[in-house]
Amino acid sequence: MIKVNQIEKNYGAIRAVQSISFGVNRGECFGLLGPNGAGKSTTISILVGLLTPDRGSVLVDGQPPSKESTRIRIGVAPQALSLYGELTAAENLKFFGQLYGLTGKLLKERVSWALRLAALEDRAHHRVNTFSGGMKRRLNIAVALVHRPQLLLLDEPTVGVDPQSRNHIFEWIEKLKSEGLTILYTTHYMEEAQRLCDRVAIIDQGQLLALDSVEQLLRQHGGQSVITGTVEHVPPNKSLPGVCEHEKWRMESNNPIQDLAKLASDGFKFHTVQITRPDLESVFLALTGKRLRD
Amino acid sequence: MKLVSLALKDLKLLLRDRLGAFFVIGFPILMGLFFGLVMQGPQLGSTSKMKLAWVDQDQSELSRQFQTELSKNNSVQLEVDSLDAARDSVRLGKRAGMIVIPEGFSQTAGILWEPQPEIHVGVDPSRSAEAAMLEGFLMQATASLIGQRFQQPRQFLPAIEKAKEDLAADATVSPLTKGLLSTFLGSVESMVDSAAQVQGSGEGSGEGFEMNFANIKRVDVTRQLDPKTVGGQISKLRSRWDISFPQAMMWGILGCVAGFAISLARERSQGTLVRLQAAPLSKTHILLGKALACFLTCLLVIVIMSILGISLGMQPASYPKLIVAALVTSFCFVGIMMTMSVLGKTEESVNGSGWAINMVMAMLGGGMIPVMFMPSFLQQLSVISPIHWAIRMIEGAIWREFSWWQLAQPGGVLLGIGLVGLTIGSIILHRRQN
Repeated sequence: MIKVNQIEKNYGAIRAVQSISFGVNRGECFGLLGPNGAGKSTTISILVGLLTPDRGSVLVDGQPPSKESTRIRIGVAPQALSLYGELTAAENLKFFGQLYGLTGKLLKERVSWALRLAALEDRAHHRVNTFSGGMKRRLNIAVALVHRPQLLLLDEPTVGVDPQSRNHIFEWIEKLKSEGLTILYTTHYMEEAQRLCDRVAIIDQGQLLALDSVEQLLRQHGGQSVITGTVEHVPPNKSLPGVCEHEKWRMESNNPIQDLAKLASDGFKFHTVQITRPDLESVFLALTGKRLRD
Repeated sequence: MKLVSLALKDLKLLLRDRLGAFFVIGFPILMGLFFGLVMQGPQLGSTSKMKLAWVDQDQSELSRQFQTELSKNNSVQLEVDSLDAARDSVRLGKRAGMIVIPEGFSQTAGILWEPQPEIHVGVDPSRSAEAAMLEGFLMQATASLIGQRFQQPRQFLPAIEKAKEDLAADATVSPLTKGLLSTFLGSVESMVDSAAQVQGSGEGSGEGFEMNFANIKRVDVTRQLDPKTVGGQISKLRSRWDISFPQAMMWGILGCVAGFAISLARERSQGTLVRLQAAPLSKTHILLGKALACFLTCLLVIVIMSILGISLGMQPASYPKLIVAALVTSFCFVGIMMTMSVLGKTEESVNGSGWAINMVMAMLGGGMIPVMFMPSFLQQLSVISPIHWAIRMIEGAIWREFSWWQLAQPGGVLLGIGLVGLTIGSIILHRRQN
């Protein structure tokens, strides 16, 4: 559905996006994972035609996003809350619905649907500037969906959101995904990308570092699982693999459960054992040499 | 439809911001009322007695009776003066009008069958309603004179005698007619004489006739005024609100301009501009939506101020011209708003620069002190302010009685400023977004 080909965008001397290419399939949830300032929002802005790339091209269903006929198929929830605080939730939804050509009964229905989705039915006629951060964030996404887009662009949709609202948003996205909506999701929270995205592109300093399914990324760049524990008993004439200092033990393994079972059968006993599996954080660390939230 | 949605959204936002709405509507009304009250000077009239100069060139008993009769009216205040002084006082707006009783007034005044002597009346043209009222008062006083003549019938005898002599001396009248008229005049003489005897014996009702009859001649008291002088301009004013409400309109429009200029920066800072740009709208649509909202609000301000001004006594000389002036002025200030909106990138910078520009425009253009009251160098400088042209155009429609051709000059300047403003604003906004 989306084809991004070698796009570049510079702000003076700052190279915000450097020769990024990727594609997003219809019905897929595609993640753009990277720290703040990696170039995610710039990429999103190029995808909706807000910015023109200095080089390269973007096509949505074969059309440039600057065309109005393309934009009508896209819903955007910008990172900054893009709502009119002096208008009510229903008025915001109605106004943006009208901009996408909705009128009359259909507009009314879609506004009601979006209010239900955002769990704001009882606050429909309250001004947005009286809402909590979580409510605003939910409405911000609902506005992006009011015109029933085919492609949803979510730019850091959970920034500043309480855990309850965050879960609510995750459930929505999973539901929308199951209904076949194509989603492009930017985040710097690896657990979100890991939970929601079919494929993830890792970007840093405007460059695309890796792109694959979460499973493949972990396999290729995540490294081994780490087993740590405190030792209770070591059988005579046997030694623990890995590193053991003052009863504290650490070992890397590709198959930690199998290795632990074997150690137990050999007579090793432990007070505590913990397995740390590789995640996108470790993928990012392996790819960039720094942590995602540095 | 999308354009209307964009404009309605902005209007709704403006009305929801109570302070903003106050500066667009409430504050200008206060300004209009304040300046209107301040301008309540002798030249613009008052609601108390009508001050009139009394020039008695007849100096007769009857003219003095006439003055006394008119003075009994509580709505007028007569001040005896010479003709020149009276005329000047009206021209300068010190008096509402003047009444001149010409020589010979007493000879025929109040005698029904004689041509009535002229009474010269000159009234400030800005007080035409009061002029009509004054004519009514003069009729009333003349009717009293007629009544008095009948209460003292012997006053008629010299006139009848003179009429008989004139008739006898007139060779153009046929002997038959002369005979008939002589008989008639003799009968009148007998009737008047009998009436005088009856009155002398104390019989009769003593009530006079009630008739309205007077030969009132209007005198133009303003024709020699130079229309460029303050006095000349003021002489055209119909009410004290004629100046203050165009000023109030300007303050309302400046409030609109400042409010909408900030709104574009606010859209940017609160992120809604991103959503608007991501919607299936062109940049031109977004700008036109903003412009339409500003245009409608400016028009609304002019309409509200006009209605309020008219209800207080402002009398627009031409409503079609006022409508054209309102449309052109609104367009001009939409252009100015567009330029102001791109002067800064933050709400604070747009707000600061916007109000600074507004204040300078208002001070120079006559938003605070009417241009005609400014020193000449400031009057010349004021042409650089769009407010100057806007007030000129609106006043042209309200009281300056501009022709369409005269309106075209300020109108052209305003349209030009509006177009330049729209172009500059659009170009800078497009560049900034790219």
